[in-house]
Amino acid sequence: METLAYLAPLFHLNVLGAIMLGTLGGLIIGALPGLTATMGVALLIPLTFGMPAVMGLNMLIGIYIGGIYGGCISSILLRTPGTPASAATVLDGYPMAQRGEAGKALGMATIASTIGGLVAAVVLAALAPQLASIALQFGAPEYFALALFGLTIIASLSGDLLKGAISGLLGILISCVGADPISGVLRYTFGFSGFASGFAFTPALIGLFALSEVFTLMERMARAEPNIQPVRGRWPSWQDMKESRGALIRGSLIGTLIGIIPGVGSGTASWISYNEARRSSPTPEKFGTGYAPGIAATESANNAVCAAALIPLLALGIPGDVVTAVLMGGLMIQGLAPGPIMFQTNPDVIVGIFGGTFLATIFMFIFGMALIPLFSRILAVPRHILAVAIMIFCFIGSFAINLNPVDLYTMVGFGVLGWVMQKFGFSQAALCIAMILGPMLEANLRRGLMQTHDDLFAFASGPLTILFLTLTVLSLGWPVLSRFLARRREAKTMTLETK
Amino acid sequence: MTRKLIIGMALALTSASAVAPAAAADYPARPIQVIVPYSAGGSTDLSMRVVADAFKRLYDGKQIVVRNQPGGGGAIGTSAAVHARPDGYTLGTGAQGPIAILPHLGGTDYKLDDVEFVGLYARSLQVMVACKGAPFKDFDSFFEYAKTKAPQIGNSGAGGANHVSAQAFADEAHIKIENVPYNGSSDARTACVGGHIDAMVASPAEALAQSEAGNMTPIFVMEPKRIDLFPDTPTAVEKGIKFTWSSWKGIIAPKGIPEEDLAFLREAVKKVATDEQFIKKMTDMGEFVTYEDAATFKARAQKDSESAERVLKDIGMYGMNK
Repeated sequence: METLAYLAPLFHLNVLGAIMLGTLGGLIIGALPGLTATMGVALLIPLTFGMPAVMGLNMLIGIYIGGIYGGCISSILLRTPGTPASAATVLDGYPMAQRGEAGKALGMATIASTIGGLVAAVVLAALAPQLASIALQFGAPEYFALALFGLTIIASLSGDLLKGAISGLLGILISCVGADPISGVLRYTFGFSGFASGFAFTPALIGLFALSEVFTLMERMARAEPNIQPVRGRWPSWQDMKESRGALIRGSLIGTLIGIIPGVGSGTASWISYNEARRSSPTPEKFGTGYAPGIAATESANNAVCAAALIPLLALGIPGDVVTAVLMGGLMIQGLAPGPIMFQTNPDVIVGIFGGTFLATIFMFIFGMALIPLFSRILAVPRHILAVAIMIFCFIGSFAINLNPVDLYTMVGFGVLGWVMQKFGFSQAALCIAMILGPMLEANLRRGLMQTHDDLFAFASGPLTILFLTLTVLSLGWPVLSRFLARRREAKTMTLETK
Repeated sequence: MTRKLIIGMALALTSASAVAPAAAADYPARPIQVIVPYSAGGSTDLSMRVVADAFKRLYDGKQIVVRNQPGGGGAIGTSAAVHARPDGYTLGTGAQGPIAILPHLGGTDYKLDDVEFVGLYARSLQVMVACKGAPFKDFDSFFEYAKTKAPQIGNSGAGGANHVSAQAFADEAHIKIENVPYNGSSDARTACVGGHIDAMVASPAEALAQSEAGNMTPIFVMEPKRIDLFPDTPTAVEKGIKFTWSSWKGIIAPKGIPEEDLAFLREAVKKVATDEQFIKKMTDMGEFVTYEDAATFKARAQKDSESAERVLKDIGMYGMNK
């Protein structure tokens, strides 16, 4: 009964309006490359100074949820990941849009984001305090093992294994640029202070995926290929939904679990989810060619991370990612200190946030679905104009993040790198994954060795570490094993037949 | 909307360099830009936004625009502020790390002497806390433990303020500690609450919330006197160790801005830092509002800079990035 009383204030017009505006604003911020959900939340915090706690916080949560979702729009239509969270959506979303099925791809992304968001919101409401304790189990060895497991994705995503490994190692090497995470020594900066914190991540991604595509578009224009003929409609077919069912469920759960672990983030979650969907699919070869379940996997995972990242924040006072760290600032401004105590001192705020998460997800679905035809029209723009427009987006987007001119060089450099890689069949995805996971791998390996006084055994003990190491071995060994089993079965039937 | 704002800011930036400095009488004739050398949303950024909010209220809608220029541990944004055109329309955030510590590591293109101090409006008090499951629970048992073993103390980054202050304390107390660097203070806090390190340096606000939940135990306060939030927690000073440390937030400017404009800005910092609404908002956020004029601010920065130099030389990090 009390819970209902706490939910009532959510349905005041002001509060509903704030959540709605927040979600819509977030959606637009997320869709514009270079404006991230983090930035949206941070810039709007001063607006919430004068609002009641539940209203202000839910507006911020709306921006967060809308922002992570919005990232898929430019990924699908322009191959420009608006946020690192949606980089994996590029793989299947963009080819679908190129086939003229942009509406369907966006529809699938919207449905997947909604399902992922709702699943995680249910988990948040039901199990926040219980699950939060899992987050605390993660010490250096556990993070290391998780990062190692994540890196095995490269093996299955890259097609040509050798080229994939080269891309992955290049990504790890690139992530070494900047201040060493343990000693603070600057590495590979060649005296440029602009590289002191390494390559800025989003400009690098924009270059890698979007600017490289502009080059490819220009090449195609020279060959005078016809424009894309858009297919109408925004709802995925029953066939698509049936094929995506597994990807949606797995993606939502993977996103929820990863979201709970502080500091891992939605980028990692969507790559792992994509890989799992591909591996358990009967038709893995369709992934990467514009296959709806690929979008379902990444988008359900990254939106599940949103709600799930609120779990350690509310239950422990520990922010799970950068956006929730900013949200924590928003809570403190309201005079609330997130943590286990808050469940007793401010149950109204806690219930209000749970409710607001649901509402924001639902608004996200409505706005997303309603705006699809409008977004899809972008592709009707003639190719030569589109290429110029994307190029401008690449530059403005990369600069807007840190207002740092070095980021523009980064973006252009990665653009050329991405284009060359694409030409010679090196996987851009492998490079991207390694750049996300490389720093996590290195920092935790060295921190763990430091804390245990160089005891390598610490990296092979503890239930979670062993779990992730086993998954790593399985994920690498499974293709070999399954081929071996298949061959044996074949041999058996052969011998039976000859008998 | 936001994109327009950013494009607008970019345009304002270019036009700012084209227009000659306005006459001092009507200063500020347009929004004053303050560079925050960290990403949007951190405590330095949020408190600067509260300053901007108060400034607008106290000065009839005259505006401060916050511009985030993160990177290099704050060195990039601070360098931009120190080397900005000295027309009074580009200022910087005076943060401890980039001003008092980073120049000693090398790799910055400015020194403390290049900074024009405007005023300090808040200090961040520091508490050493024992983490979950630590083998000590108060100052005496901590000190006893540290005599035989080196406690593992988490910090928010190698060569950062927490690292320097923990090491400065250990030097002064003649104990050995192991510094465990994390990527930012919230990662360190996560490890602390999860029991993966023994102790860390925390802000009173986070220490209070977590100690009520039983996840952290305050060991000592790094102030000369006990603080209101933790009346039962001793200071290092009263335990006979000559050690105090706090981080700070203020406003800095490039050298050479017009005398009258500088006077206006110094007065403005004072007016904001003593405004009641401002104090309330900041206190809610866990900041300790205090006003220090330019000379006191500068002396504080110099003192911290000297301690940092000593500590960094001691642990072999001095000038490592030259």
